[in-house]
Amino acid sequence: MIPFDLVEPTSLTEAIALIDPRDPDVRPIAGGSALMLMMKAGVFRPRRLVSLRKLGDGFARITVTPGGDLKIGAMTPLSAIEHSPEVLRHAPVIARTMRRLSNVRVRNIATVGGALAHADPHMDLPPVLIALDASISVAGRSGERSMAVEDLLTGYYETALAKNELITEVRIPAQAATRAVYFKVTAGSADDWPALGVAVALRAEGATVKSARIVVGAATTKAARLLAAEKALIGQTADDATLKKLADVAADEADILADVRGSASYKRELLRVYAVRAVRAAMQASGAPH
Amino acid sequence: MANSNPSAAQAGHQVGRSLPRLEAREKVTGRAEYTHLMQLPGMLHAKIFRSTVAHGRIKSVDTSEARKSPGVYGVYTGDDIRKVIPDPYYGPAFHDQPILAIDKVHFVGEPVAVVLATDPHIADQAVQQIVADYEELPAVFDEVEAAANKVLVHDELKPAGTFADLKHLKGRKGTNIALDFRLRRGDVDKAFISAAQVFEHTFRTQKVLHMALEPYASIADYRDDGVTVHSGAQGPSFVRTEIARLLGWPENRVRVKVPYLGGGYGGKLYIKMEALAVALSMLARRPVKVALTMEEQFYTITKHPSTFRIKSGLDKDGKIVARKCEVWWNGGAYADVGPRVTQKSGFTASGPYDIDNVSIDSYALYTNLTPAGALRGFGIPQLVWAYESHTDMIARALNRDPLEFRKQNLLREGRPQATGTILKDAAIEKVLDRIAERLNWKQQFDHGQGVVRRGRGLAIALKAVISPTTSVAIVNIAGDGSTTLYCGTVDMGQGSDTAMAQMVGEVLDMPAESVRVVPRDTDVTPYDMGTLGSRSLFHMGHAVRLAAEEARDKIAALRRELGEPAGSNAPLGDLFRKKYGMQAGNIVGTGIYKPDYIPPDGSGLTTNATPFWMVAGNGVELEVDTETGLVRITRLINVADVGKPINPKIVETQLSGASLMQLGFSMFEKMHLDGGQITNASLADYKIPGINDVPPVMQNETVDTTQENGPFGAKGVGELATFGVSPAIANAIDDAIGVRLTELPLTAEAVLRALRAKDNKPLGEE
Amino acid sequence: MSTAVRTINFTLNGTPVTADVKAHHNVVEMLQTQFALTGARESCGQGLCGCCTVLVDGRAVSGCLYLAVFLDGADVVTVESLAASGRLDPVQEAFIECGAFQCGYCTPGFILMAKALLEQTNDPDDEQIRDYLAGNLCRCAAYPEIVNAVKLAARKNKAGSTGSS
Repeated sequence: MIPFDLVEPTSLTEAIALIDPRDPDVRPIAGGSALMLMMKAGVFRPRRLVSLRKLGDGFARITVTPGGDLKIGAMTPLSAIEHSPEVLRHAPVIARTMRRLSNVRVRNIATVGGALAHADPHMDLPPVLIALDASISVAGRSGERSMAVEDLLTGYYETALAKNELITEVRIPAQAATRAVYFKVTAGSADDWPALGVAVALRAEGATVKSARIVVGAATTKAARLLAAEKALIGQTADDATLKKLADVAADEADILADVRGSASYKRELLRVYAVRAVRAAMQASGAPH
Repeated sequence: MANSNPSAAQAGHQVGRSLPRLEAREKVTGRAEYTHLMQLPGMLHAKIFRSTVAHGRIKSVDTSEARKSPGVYGVYTGDDIRKVIPDPYYGPAFHDQPILAIDKVHFVGEPVAVVLATDPHIADQAVQQIVADYEELPAVFDEVEAAANKVLVHDELKPAGTFADLKHLKGRKGTNIALDFRLRRGDVDKAFISAAQVFEHTFRTQKVLHMALEPYASIADYRDDGVTVHSGAQGPSFVRTEIARLLGWPENRVRVKVPYLGGGYGGKLYIKMEALAVALSMLARRPVKVALTMEEQFYTITKHPSTFRIKSGLDKDGKIVARKCEVWWNGGAYADVGPRVTQKSGFTASGPYDIDNVSIDSYALYTNLTPAGALRGFGIPQLVWAYESHTDMIARALNRDPLEFRKQNLLREGRPQATGTILKDAAIEKVLDRIAERLNWKQQFDHGQGVVRRGRGLAIALKAVISPTTSVAIVNIAGDGSTTLYCGTVDMGQGSDTAMAQMVGEVLDMPAESVRVVPRDTDVTPYDMGTLGSRSLFHMGHAVRLAAEEARDKIAALRRELGEPAGSNAPLGDLFRKKYGMQAGNIVGTGIYKPDYIPPDGSGLTTNATPFWMVAGNGVELEVDTETGLVRITRLINVADVGKPINPKIVETQLSGASLMQLGFSMFEKMHLDGGQITNASLADYKIPGINDVPPVMQNETVDTTQENGPFGAKGVGELATFGVSPAIANAIDDAIGVRLTELPLTAEAVLRALRAKDNKPLGEE
Repeated sequence: MSTAVRTINFTLNGTPVTADVKAHHNVVEMLQTQFALTGARESCGQGLCGCCTVLVDGRAVSGCLYLAVFLDGADVVTVESLAASGRLDPVQEAFIECGAFQCGYCTPGFILMAKALLEQTNDPDDEQIRDYLAGNLCRCAAYPEIVNAVKLAARKNKAGSTGSS
């Protein structure tokens, strides 16, 4: 690895000021896993790293608002999220997803803000957060703004953030009667990166689907909602005919990429199958009759 | 003969004990020494600049910027190497591999230049500044295509002279065939004509690699009157002779020291980084460490991909009367031990079956890929993949029970194997029956009716241990009676030190734990052909036994000399004190073992192909999700003939570990190649089995037999459980869903594609 | 480009220590070159194999992806701390009794992970053990023995075994 400068600001404003948006050789470092990988691979050769580790515990808290929204500081390690009683109560799908997300050592170090900013399309968390309608708060030179996680991810390892903007918080709205599931499909070894990830969050009344968010991950350039698939489901009962249509629409809609984990046609088949399985599982979690 | 020491009264029998490995404490405390972790004072780190083209003439290598980098000690190319080693080509079968590329590069990743620096980061950075210019040449990547000799990898072949049967290849041009092994028994052509039925299939295997967790590493400390090489090498004697040959030195000026290996599996054989480290140390006049990254292992040595076309003719009763085997081995750019793999595996390419007419043609091909060499099985898993899939397919085509069909054709004790060597001490039927028993083969099996279908399969295999090879051991008893063993077998986790200590203890009537086994050091440990091919327990075991027996005989002689009464058990220390007046002196026993062997004639036939047969098989139960192709192995059964296990617990873990390694090769491991480039050269994209890949039920066992000519009735185990895993799985998939896969790996996608093709609803191509 | 050396102060296996490191040095290379501790090894270099496992402030991390400078003020534990007094830790004993290693290269990583798991859950079931250790690779595939070793270690802890020399 090439030598670089390390600066350790103690405030958010200071950190933002240290990142020159025009300089590609300066980057913020949170947990460091993703950045270290890129540096060792020679993909990124920094001149300077701006550490976010001393910005204070305020950015690593998990709290619940009176309305039941979950707020997670951007510097919160994934393992804290995994073991948090608040997360378990308010968004149990996240706790379940964590169990097979990367490995324990990575979860101990990687932060939720860092994970989102990295925008690796194979990650498990982004499709789950999108399904939960999560949003982020972002701090930059001109102040704060917020955006949906679904709008944050714009492409293959690309986000809507300016180089000198930092995620400060992730917010998951109260889920009420919505139930969410995530299926991680590994086609190689059991703990491989997923060939496909499917997250479904839906609310049913009786056997009818009142609202649904269907998100695909790992097989596409970025985690993305399948809007046409959602439309095919909302207002319907999740019977065989609807699910067959859903499968076809989802497979058609997703922009699937081939890689070492599978050809595009195969991943499309997986999506066809798992979109249905995920909806069925979510319906079951909703207590819907079937 | 169960044991050679009927009066093992004091210590009790040492062979047959499941004692924990002798080096356990070092390993669990993190204090075991491995080359990759070693530092020598004044050491320089080497970082390698590698070829980016698969085949090309080197037009220029510009190292000027790299040389100027602060902290860089030096930058070297093939031309520099030639200044100190004029003929810098090495290899066990062919002297074809240059220490650094000369004139041409032959595969992507071939070492072209090296930067030395005291700081490895600086060396790494400087490598980025080297620029090479190549005139790209046509390249060939497929083994069958290579055999057509349209695109040639090398201009001229350079056999080493280590194989008598390769001498005729010297100077040969115009070919990619490094070796062709040929076996003819009876007349297959005639037999096929009169056969009632003929079946022919072609099978393929993919490029995979050892991926030891300790990557290749060697440290050389060159002095003008001698060189010491520290290396994670499975064959220290070979490293010594080869380095001596390259330097034009007598062997006794080359010292090879081997600590523990963080995995070997056949990859750390012959020369890997040793010659480069030595040459660089000669040039730099300082110790040099060459330690590779995980990624660089993909550019070092791999397993042979293969294509095997197999054809069987049956008579009207279902007896196989003829089998024709054609095997193409993809050896990569340099031969390494490929020719030996090609030839020796050729002996058993037709499988553990009693077939009167056999024809085998086995070709070692050069291609423009990372060289292929020995990987746990030494070619046998690729052969078994083909013949046990093929045999199973025939059974199913005939609507015969796959077990009964095999038993009808099985090779039995006293019958000639394809080479003509009579089968002895090879418990093929016993192993097969045990697998079937564990699978409850006679019981009805529920294949399921829903989305998830279930299936079961089995496979049985035979290997001829490589021959002839030599092992030497020395047992040294000190003045207080404490005993030390010097032997060149390298313990890379298979428990050889422990097993050898047990054998010494058995002969000398002392606890195995009291025997000190010294780390490998060619200044001290005598000659051994190499730790490979499951040969060590038998060959080195005999040498160790003989050495211990000679020591025991000398003890007896000493007792007589000192006038001890017959049957006296006076401690050894007392004997020495009596003889020398103090605690002094040694008793040294030496053992040398080389089995008899008759090389095959021009038709591949010989009545003594091997000192012992290796027999093992596997059984599998699995589930297939017919919507996704995902396969879940629910039971994995490994059964083997190891004679009388020296250490049953270690034997069990060797069976388990080998089968799990082969599971990865069977189900998902694959080096993805694109025009000679490896697109998944890292652990992130090349997955090996993890803890969640272990089948929920695994059974590992040995059958009750004796290897009559083995040390204490035993023989080797390391590779056995790899042999039949792949075809057992494919046979089980066929049993579950009626589709047959003929290429590895057996990925979910491959399964689904086959299923859909069968249902006439094929998946798209992209 | 600055190649400044920084002095860090941290606790290593219970002892306060000091080290001079450059920003780009990772924990494994620091431990090996400055403290002669080779139990943690860089193998895959990508945090996927676990051979480089060290405990930082009680949490298992991949040393090969952890910058040494970030250890300032931290409490670091390596495998060498476990038998510091000469007596093996129950986890180490269990690994030996179950034959839970072959070549040994991945073993320190597994042992530290096992210790961390048992701190978190003192009687884990098979699934919990496998999920926790899913990020540690063993090419020799001693996995079945490793799972047994963790269960045995849990039993030893319960029985109050204090290790043996």
